[in-house]
This record gives sequence, structure tokens and C-alpha cells, in this order.
Amino acid sequence: MTSLPWLAALPWLAAAWLFAIGVYGVVTSRHYVHLIGCLSVCQSSTYMLLLGVGFRRGAGPPIFYDHPPGTPAVDPVMQALVLTDIVVGAAVTALLLVIALQVHKRCGLVDPQRLRPLRGPK
Amino acid sequence: MNGRWRLALLALAALLLAPLIWSVASALPPFGAPEAAYGPAVNALLPGARNVSNMVAAVNFDVRGIDTLGEESMLLCAVVGAVVLLRGRRGEDRGDRAGRVPGRPIVERDDATILACRIAALLVLLFGAYVALHGTVTPGGGFQGGAIAASGLLLVYPGEDYSCWRALVPGTVLTVIEGAGALIFVLAAALPLAGGHAALANILPLGTWKDLYSGGVMVVVNFAVALAVVGGFGLLLIEFMEETRAPEEDPVPDEEDR
Amino acid sequence: MTGPETLLPLVVLAPLGMAALLATIAHWLPSRMADVLAILTALGIMLLCGWLAGQATGGPIVHWFGGWTPDAAHRPGVILGIAFVADPASAALAAFCALLFAASFLFAWGYFDEVHSHFHILMLLFLAAMEGFCLTHDLFNLFVWFELMSVAAFALTAYPLGQSSLEGAFSFTVTNSFASFMMLMGIGLLYAGTGTLDFTAIGQAMARHGPDPVILGGFCLIAAALLTKAAILPFHFWLSDAHAVAPTPVSVIFSGVMVGLGLFALTKLGGQSFGAGEGAMAPVRALLLWLGVATAVVGGLMTWGQRHLKRLLAFSTVSHLGIMLLAVSALKPLGAAALLLYLVGQGLVKAALFMVAGILLALRASADEIALYREGRGLWPAGVVMILGGLILGGLPIGLLHGGGHLIHAAVPSRVAEGAIILSTALTGAAVLRAGLRIFPGWSGVPGVERGAPTEREHEKADRPLWLMVLPGALLLVLVLAPSSAAFPFLAAAAPRLLDPWAAGIATLPEEGGTLASGATFAATLALVAMSLLRRRPTGRLARLAAWGERLPFRALEAAHSGVVSDYVTWMTAGLALLAVAAASWR
Repeated sequence: MTSLPWLAALPWLAAAWLFAIGVYGVVTSRHYVHLIGCLSVCQSSTYMLLLGVGFRRGAGPPIFYDHPPGTPAVDPVMQALVLTDIVVGAAVTALLLVIALQVHKRCGLVDPQRLRPLRGPK
Repeated sequence: MNGRWRLALLALAALLLAPLIWSVASALPPFGAPEAAYGPAVNALLPGARNVSNMVAAVNFDVRGIDTLGEESMLLCAVVGAVVLLRGRRGEDRGDRAGRVPGRPIVERDDATILACRIAALLVLLFGAYVALHGTVTPGGGFQGGAIAASGLLLVYPGEDYSCWRALVPGTVLTVIEGAGALIFVLAAALPLAGGHAALANILPLGTWKDLYSGGVMVVVNFAVALAVVGGFGLLLIEFMEETRAPEEDPVPDEEDR
Repeated sequence: MTGPETLLPLVVLAPLGMAALLATIAHWLPSRMADVLAILTALGIMLLCGWLAGQATGGPIVHWFGGWTPDAAHRPGVILGIAFVADPASAALAAFCALLFAASFLFAWGYFDEVHSHFHILMLLFLAAMEGFCLTHDLFNLFVWFELMSVAAFALTAYPLGQSSLEGAFSFTVTNSFASFMMLMGIGLLYAGTGTLDFTAIGQAMARHGPDPVILGGFCLIAAALLTKAAILPFHFWLSDAHAVAPTPVSVIFSGVMVGLGLFALTKLGGQSFGAGEGAMAPVRALLLWLGVATAVVGGLMTWGQRHLKRLLAFSTVSHLGIMLLAVSALKPLGAAALLLYLVGQGLVKAALFMVAGILLALRASADEIALYREGRGLWPAGVVMILGGLILGGLPIGLLHGGGHLIHAAVPSRVAEGAIILSTALTGAAVLRAGLRIFPGWSGVPGVERGAPTEREHEKADRPLWLMVLPGALLLVLVLAPSSAAFPFLAAAAPRLLDPWAAGIATLPEEGGTLASGATFAATLALVAMSLLRRRPTGRLARLAAWGERLPFRALEAAHSGVVSDYVTWMTAGLALLAVAAASWR
């Protein structure tokens, strides 16, 4: 492990990379649904960071059904936070998809770079 | 801003952030050796304190229960918002005819599909109920079980035709189920206050470890969450499916016509 | 448990319960019942929070959920549970939120008819989230209420279903989702670095370790998220799009209090978790000062260049948020007191002004000040509210907003900041006055730079009498005209307790008096209004050249606020990089 110190930081770098490509996807997106997918990628990076923070090497899941309480287990608080995070992500994605659907019904366009909220003066 | 300027600014920001991300990543505790004391304390205390074996459920429904209440309200909020936005001018009534996409054939349902879906939907609904009820014992809980049961609801659709599906999955019932789930959770949080305890305190008998009833109030809260998730996702499915129906008249209003 | 401690969770549980109840029985509820229940809930919460604020001046009211007090775990130093801690400032701000909601519900009476009380469900959840946001003492709980606020806001913004509403809601949702991702990553980093999620415990851990990269990184991410919610340059682009297209009762809440909560949370976290002036916030304070100056000036200029009333008011909110950030950057009790007073004053005036815009949309089918020239003739009560509101925004030397501005000038002694405050206050007040004078009495010169601003034809439903629509705005304006010295005793006790709930002292607040700054502000406002009244069409070559030169900076700023969400996200990333570089340069 000590001969490759960056390995210990790999999960954090992977999370940062996921976030970065998600942002890149959003900035260059030409379709609303693609943009929403890129937002999901950014969300996954937060899951990765949180779960990685809670992981303990050699420990089992924090469910003491088959193993007695006291066996080494990973951090349950981080897992609970990620569960909340997933529900949040589902809620926001649902709303975004609804908005994208309504925009499509309204004017048939789905390119975020071609639409403007307020028009120029009439 | 031009696309190229955008990418240039993004590249500049990434260049500035990269060394800082690297320094944060190398300063974090190494992967697999966390230093936080919160998690191990929960693992050590909760099995004895609440007679449960699922620590994640214990954190979600007991130690950090108010977070879960906020999260469930968020689900309620998103579903109500989606319903409002999708119904819009369309109104609540059911379109019975399928929407037509020109050039796409309408395929008749096969008997094998119908049989498979009916069996699969029942099994999935049962499995969802199982996962939800055993939340405090094995991996699972209200959220997971509710989501599974909601997908079971959708599985009914390939097996029946649309009006039959809408009759089996009634919108009003799902609304009541969703609201009732949220209401039960709020009551479970508020009622202990009347007895002088803290909000969301575990005032029910704690049950036996590894038993279906273990964890006291956690069982009630778990059930409430399962109800809310099933109702919420079911409503979302109905509203999205209504979008595929042919509208009676064009529901897209003019800008000036609000 | 004492009475206040038992009642504290009800502040959040009551609106949540009422929303759940409405969701269950919505189908069978008689038509006006939802309005009545919502107003009663909001008023009840307001009274409860006001009472709690009074009770909290002796010491904070603490409630640990589930009974998980710090000693229940039998592990010294490990905090398992989530607490609500009501210091006087948080409880007072929670009461203010409920007040604005009650006013908004009154204004929205009969506004949203077709859907079975869904508007009220969304608004009650919004209210519950704001109350939780003000009162919580746990970082992830803060995130949960932050998200609930955001989700309710997204749904409410898209409500009118017009094309601009949907696109405004989309860019609002995407930018604020990025804010929540950043907040989550910040929470992950802070948990990894300190092992706890409780505000005070994080502060203690930070005092022990000193700010290492992990904690600084977590702080930058959380600060970026809160600055996005508070619409600070360069995170501010979503605000004008969202507030301009949301239905008026919702815009009242957005500009009135939702955006101010971001700065409130930043102050609270800065004081309780990040070591106030000496800790993690120290390297960033200078950057926050400059961001505040930039936001105030850019917001002020954009306000002056608008013709669509709601967009004008939205940019004036951005400008005022920049001024409030100057108070936050000071991070002393004086700065906290200044922030609170200015927040409340600004919120009251902005809410009243948005209601006037809503009245014009309902009764005159437009929100464009040039198209509404002289159309306000029959609506003089609304005109009084608008002109008075404009005068107050522009620095009229009476009332809460003026008191707040005076405190900010005292808390931030920098010359540049003073100049920025004077300039932006004058620009925003003069813009509102210009619009009001044009619409109601019909006094105006030729339209200047605002002629080229984006606008839209729209209207809102009007099925309630004029007096009912004007009443909440008028009441709010009466409140803001109260002398600020009446609030000083409460502020002096509340401000130090915002930065540390168990503090014992009382801040000293400078006496209010006529200063050069306040006189200069009001004079500048009147000068700008006079300039717009006396403007004539440029006929000579020199005059036309001058007019073209005047338009240039406004055109450039308007082009930057393009409405394209990809631009907004790029600016946000650049802002995060700025924050990170500022934090890293501290060594």
C-alpha cells in the first residue's frame, strides 16, 4: 500500500472524476434528457464519496442477523445518508423529467442551448 | 456565451481545482481506515438499545429519524409537484385510447405475455411487501420494499389493457395511501411529545431481536414509509402513463390564454 | 422537558402534518377550506416561533430528537442524535418566514383553484422546510431541509406551465441540484475529517485539528452551495429566471426570505462550526467581501436596465443579497445583527412590491413597465405601496431597512464596500420608483436603457377584489416602517447567540443617526429618478453617441445573463474554483 500512496486516494479521485465528467456533460448537452442523465452521473459521484468514507477494510455489512453484534461492520451512518441521497435524487429527477416533457409538448424543442426563459422586447 | 468560451472557462476552473482536489484527496483518511467514531458507536449501541439487527434501518428510523421524515416529505412534495405539472391543463380524466406515434405499429398482446406478467406482478408485489416488513431485521426497509412494490404495480400494465390497469390501480386510493403514510410518520413523531418524551422517541415495547416485530416505533415508521413510497411512485406511474394517451382536444394553451 | 423544549419540534411537525392531512383528504375537501387551514397553520407557527424567540433570550432551547441526548449514548464526545437548537435569532427568523407565508396565502386566496389544494400542500412543505432549516443543529439535517425547500420551489416555479416558466424552472432546478451535490460532498468531507455532523461538535473538532485541507475543502463546497441558494455572483444567474416566471405568491416567498436563508445559514455555520473570524472562514472573508461588492453592483446595474417588473425586482434582490453578504463577511456580532435586520427589512419590502406586480399582472394583464404606462390609474392603493416601497429601497431614512443598512455601514468599514452599497441601493430604489411613477401617475421621460430588456406578455388570474390583494402588501409595508431602534434590544441579545448559542454577552449596536452615507444614498436615488424623468429622445449626434455608450455595458451584462443553463453551470464551477483558491492560499 505505501509504495502506491495514490491508491489509497483512488476512490476520492474517482468521485471527483465522475463529478467532472458529469459537469462536462451538462455544459455541452444538446438534449434535456441527456442533461438529466449527466446530473445523475454527478449524483453518483456523491454516493461514491459518501460510501467510500464509510468503508472499513475487512468489515462486513452493518446487519447483525447472521453475525452477532460486535463483528466488525462498516459505517451505517454513511449508508443511511446515501439512502436519503438516493431518494432525493429520485425526487429531483422525476421533477426534471416532468419539466422536460412539458417543454417538449409546448414547443417540440428539447435543446437546452436554444431556449431562453424571457424573450426580447416585442 | 459561445460554446468554445464555455469550455475554455470550464477548463480554466478545472485546472485551478485539480491540484486542490489532489491535496484534499491525499489528506483524507486512507480508504478502508475511517477515523470517525459515530458509525462504530451506532454499531456497538443500537442492537442492545433497540433490539434490532439492521443498523442502517436503526439509523434511518430511530437515531436520525427526523432526516427520514424530511426525506419522505420530499418524496410527497416531488410527487405532488409532478402530478400538478403533468395534469396541468389536461385535467384528471382518463384517456382511454392509446396515443398514436405515426409509423409505429400497435402490437397485440400475446397470451404468454399476459400470463407471465400476471404471475410476475403478484410475485414482485409479495416480494416488495416482504422486503418492507423485514426492514428492521434484514437488509431492506420501507423505501426499498416500497420501490419494489411500485414496480410490481407497473408490471400489471403489460398484462392487462390500459383501462383495466387504471381500474386496478386507482389514483384516489394511491393518493390516500401516500398521504396516510406521511401522516402516520408525523403522528409517530408528534404523539410522544404529548407524553413529555422527545419527538420521535421510541415509546412502544421494543420487541425481540431478529423477530418481525423489533424496534418499537421503528416498525410503525417503516410501515408508514412503505405506504408513502408505494402511493407516491404509483401516482407518478399513473401520471406518466396518462401522457401516452391520446388527448380529447389539444391541451396546450396559448401563452396569452392563462 | 420544559414547555418551550416540548413545543419546539411542533414548528416543523405542524406544517408537515397539515400538508400530509391535506394530501390525504384533498379529494373531499370543500373549496376554500385549504386556504383557511393554510393561513391558520402559518399564523400559528408564527406565534409559536415568536414566543420561542422571546423564551430563548435567556439560553437556547434545545430538543434532541428520539431522546438521543449526548449523554444517552454513554460515550463522551460522540453525539448520536439530531438536535433542534432555537437561539433567539433563528426562532425570530422562523417567525418571519411564517409571517411571509401567511401574507402569501392571503394574497393567493382563490388563486389556484383547479387542483385539489396541491398548491397549499407544496407551500406548507416549503414552510416546514424553511422552519427546519432555521432551527436545526445537524449538518445533514440542514441538507435535508435545504433539499425539501429546493424541491418545493422547483415544483412551484414551473406551476404556470408557460414556456418561460418551464425553462426558468429547469435552469433553477439544474443549478440548485449542483448546489446540493456540492453540499453533499462537503458533508462527506467534513464527516471524514471530524467524525461528526453536529454544528458545535464540528466546531470543537476544528478547534482541535486546525483547518486541514479536508475541512477547508468541505467548507468551500458547503459555502458554494449556500452562496448558490443566496444568489451571489457568480452563482446568481438562476434567480432572475426563476423569480420572474414563478407565480406571484411564490415569488413573494422566494425573494422575501428563501434566498436570505442561504446567507443566514452561512453566518450560523461560520460562527458555530468554522471558527468564526479565526478559523476556516478567515481566508475566504476577503473574497466574500469582493463577491458582495460585485454582486451588489452588478445586481444594481441589471435592475436599472430591466422593464419587466418581476425581473426588475428579482435583480434588486440579487443586489440586496450582495449587500447582506458584506455583513456576513464581517462575521462579528455586529455583522450578524446587521444581516438579520437587513434581511427582515428587505424581505418585507420585496414581498409587498412583488404583490403589487402580481396585482398589475392580474388586473392589467402585463408586468412590463413601458407597456403599463399610465395603466395603473384606477389602482391607486397599489401605487402608494409601490412608490413607498421604492422610496424605502432607495434609502428613505425611516424603518427597519434603513436601520439594517446603517448597521452594515458600521460593520464593514471598507470604503469600496460603502461606495458599492450607496450605488446599488440608489440604483435599485430608483428603478422601482421609475417604474412606479411611470405606471401609476404616468410621470416619465423617454425610456432609456430599459427599452432593450427582455420582457413577455402574460397575466395571472384575478378573481378577488383589489382591497384583498393590496391588504397583505400594505400590512407588510406598515411593519417595515417601524423604527429600527425598537428592534435593537432584541438584536443585541440575538446576534452573539447566532454565532454561539451558549454565549453570554450582549453586542453593542451603534446608535442610529443621520450619517453622510444615508443622506448620500437617498440623494443619489432621487437624482437617478430625476434623470429618468427628464430624459428626452437623443436628437443630436453627440446625444445619440452618449445613449449608445450608455447602452453598451447593459447590453453586455444582459448577454451574460443568457438564460442558457450550460452557461450558468460553467459560472458556478468558476465560482467554486475561486472559493477553493482563496481558501488554499491561506497558509
